[in-house]
Amino acid sequence: MKLAAAVLLFITGLMSLIASATPSQWEQPAASLASQIAEILGPGQARLTIRNNSSLSTDEIPLIRRLLEADLKTRGVLASGAEAANTIRVTLSENQRERLWVAEIIEGNETHVAMVHVDSGAVQPLQASSGITLRKQIFLTVPDQVLSAFETGNTLILVEPEEIVIDAGNAQGWQPQQRFSISHKAAQTRDPRAVILSSSSINGFEASLPGTACSGSTQSTNDWSIRCHESDDPWPIVAEPAQDSSSNNAAPIKAFYNAARNYFTGVVTPSIAVDLPPFYSAALLPRPDGAGLVISGIDGKVQLAESNALKPITGTRDWGSDFAALHSGCGAGTQIIASGSGEAITDSLRAYELPALEAVPASAPLAMDGTVTALWTAPDGKSIYAVVRSATDQYEVDRVTATCN
Amino acid sequence: MLRQLAISALLIACALPAVARTRPHYGGTLRVETEGDPLQRPDGTARKLLLDGLTQLDEHGTVQPALAIRWTSENNDHRWQFWLRPGVHFHNGATLNSTNVIAALTAICGSGCPWTTVQPAGASIVFISDSPMPNLDALIAEDAYRIYLTDAGDGRTPACCIGTGPFELPPTPSTAFSLIANDNYWQGRPFIDKIEINGHKSIHDQWLDLTLGRADFVEVPAEQIRQAREQRLTVITSPPIELLALAVTDSGVLGNPTLRASIALAVDRAALSNVIFQKQGEITASLLPASLTGYSFLFSTERDVNKAHELRGGITPPQLLLSTEANPTMQLAAQRIALNLHEAGFNVQLAAPSQHSDMMLVRRRLAPRQPQAALTSMLRGVGVQSPVLADQPAGLYREEREFLDTHTLIPLLYLPRAYAVSGRVRDLRLASDGTPLLANVALQDAPDAIGATQ
Repeated sequence: MKLAAAVLLFITGLMSLIASATPSQWEQPAASLASQIAEILGPGQARLTIRNNSSLSTDEIPLIRRLLEADLKTRGVLASGAEAANTIRVTLSENQRERLWVAEIIEGNETHVAMVHVDSGAVQPLQASSGITLRKQIFLTVPDQVLSAFETGNTLILVEPEEIVIDAGNAQGWQPQQRFSISHKAAQTRDPRAVILSSSSINGFEASLPGTACSGSTQSTNDWSIRCHESDDPWPIVAEPAQDSSSNNAAPIKAFYNAARNYFTGVVTPSIAVDLPPFYSAALLPRPDGAGLVISGIDGKVQLAESNALKPITGTRDWGSDFAALHSGCGAGTQIIASGSGEAITDSLRAYELPALEAVPASAPLAMDGTVTALWTAPDGKSIYAVVRSATDQYEVDRVTATCN
Repeated sequence: MLRQLAISALLIACALPAVARTRPHYGGTLRVETEGDPLQRPDGTARKLLLDGLTQLDEHGTVQPALAIRWTSENNDHRWQFWLRPGVHFHNGATLNSTNVIAALTAICGSGCPWTTVQPAGASIVFISDSPMPNLDALIAEDAYRIYLTDAGDGRTPACCIGTGPFELPPTPSTAFSLIANDNYWQGRPFIDKIEINGHKSIHDQWLDLTLGRADFVEVPAEQIRQAREQRLTVITSPPIELLALAVTDSGVLGNPTLRASIALAVDRAALSNVIFQKQGEITASLLPASLTGYSFLFSTERDVNKAHELRGGITPPQLLLSTEANPTMQLAAQRIALNLHEAGFNVQLAAPSQHSDMMLVRRRLAPRQPQAALTSMLRGVGVQSPVLADQPAGLYREEREFLDTHTLIPLLYLPRAYAVSGRVRDLRLASDGTPLLANVALQDAPDAIGATQ
């Protein structure tokens, strides 16, 4: 009795395992291919061979074979042994976009071909880390280049080289609602950049692009008014984080941007009593003597402006041009999140602390699905946003947060 | 695996010393050396930098806007309308408009255009054809259709060279062939100030100059990729995108399709790949590479000399002439094929490149990565004017099979394109046809960076 119960339990478990492992995505293509084969071959016996020329795991082949055999059988074709006169040679192939299952139906000297295409499944990368753990949440993915973005309530404002796009959030994600063309008077640069922040004076935003400033205001989610004009005003680059979600950032440090190039000139306002070299990005860090401004010079050097002096920071060999401050509350409280220095297909982000004048890694690298092209701190300072250009030239906006281990 | 390979091959960046990476710097001169003429049609290095097309293919072979910002296809692809990008100027200041675009297109293809008529419609141009033109947007992205000012007006500048591209000819020509950055380029000024192109240089001399620091960018033929790596050159390679094929005439004695089929069976692709091209190619008997279609294995690449003899059926055709370009490797490959055919009972003699021949060993570059556009482009390249209408794998396979069964073109290998660069060069990427995207390149020691350290 006990044995029977155990066997029953085993069979039930096995059945449920098989059922849960049955990938339904193979059922439709198997049926479609079997239908085409049966139409060519007609009822009868045939030898079925399957080879795998694709990235499919070999573990999947028995299941695909079972599906094909069953579908062929229901159409009158019995997949039998080597003695059958006809042969069905199925090749599981693929190209850059999709899987392709090809059947060569060999009847004597004649070969017919049938094929079906199957959507490829996306591969989800995994990430592990130590110390502070950085986590990435994909905000949205779009085909157009994103320079910067700003989230306000249920609205996401994307700054693109030639447009400002207003997206509204819903259950399906962010959906474009309005597009505003930006008319640039001067020629655009090849490495365009932008900054967008909430407006201190209106219910909306202010965006800075090379040679252009835009402001947007709204009375409702779907009714935005956006104006752009030529401007060489300095861009807001760093700010103390807002104390609460309802308040705006404290007065930010602004920097003049070289609109014909891709960097800040080094002139900032209000003045910080030290001459800065031209730089790509900057972050404000709490230091024992107040705040320090970390900059990445266009010569690749990372320096800290504090106490009326400019001091070189070591340990930044692996940094790229882009970084932002993250107020995680872990460790020293604030970390710098820097992009990687490699030109690899997959860039990375990593947290660093500056206990002295050496950057010390505070997290494992967080792999990104492409090259990081922009990085900025969220208004509350507790997360950063990254724009990542993927290998397929899609642009992904990610929100990166840290958790303390 | 395939996807990873494709992505890694498509997105190659040069290896650089492990210093902190910055955003690209502006300024500096890039020194380029090539075997060919920089201005040769349709794909000379300089020509690509001077001229733009109405559309362009990105690194993945996808059609993107260029001088046209948008387009529509109507009437079952018989009518296409392309809207021109406003505010674009030729290097001499002339404004891009529908009149000068149509003049250029007419000069480019004359009566052999894939359309019947092209006419202006305000700020757009309209292509009309008696037969459908699927993928016209991809077709006009090809180098042959780059737009230049046909009436430069100054009587001095070569008509080929006044375009809208990222680089322009300097106002005062210097001894070296050089191009300067177009400050007002619609896609953004290039990072580098100047490109010096030294054409007609042998590969040996190019590599020597690269090694001695006299060049930044040189060519690496597919068969020398391994050698270049052994010499520790920084090599950038594309995926296999150049088809090596044997074009066979269908007139004279080779008007007999069975003889052409016999020739197809006699060629030893594996030997060509292993011996001549140093295993750098992908053996193929199909027009499109496996990565594009997934069905190329259906075209057998096996050599079968016995079957070739059998198909010849005892016929000993008169001497056949086989020609190819003057390139030494192509000559070697042609000799190898002549030997293969001799073993199958054919009497083949090598002919001079300019001589009329029965067979020609050719190279065809594949730019579009969308299979229907790629097949259309490939077939047009061998003189098949009728468009490919199928857009699904089964239909494309049928069209390809139908053409290849004529044995007027025998695909042999897909070869990569490769280049070697100096340590100064950064952010170099290759277009889908293996063309280096030099307008995106920046220099590690550009004046912007040096100036910042002073």
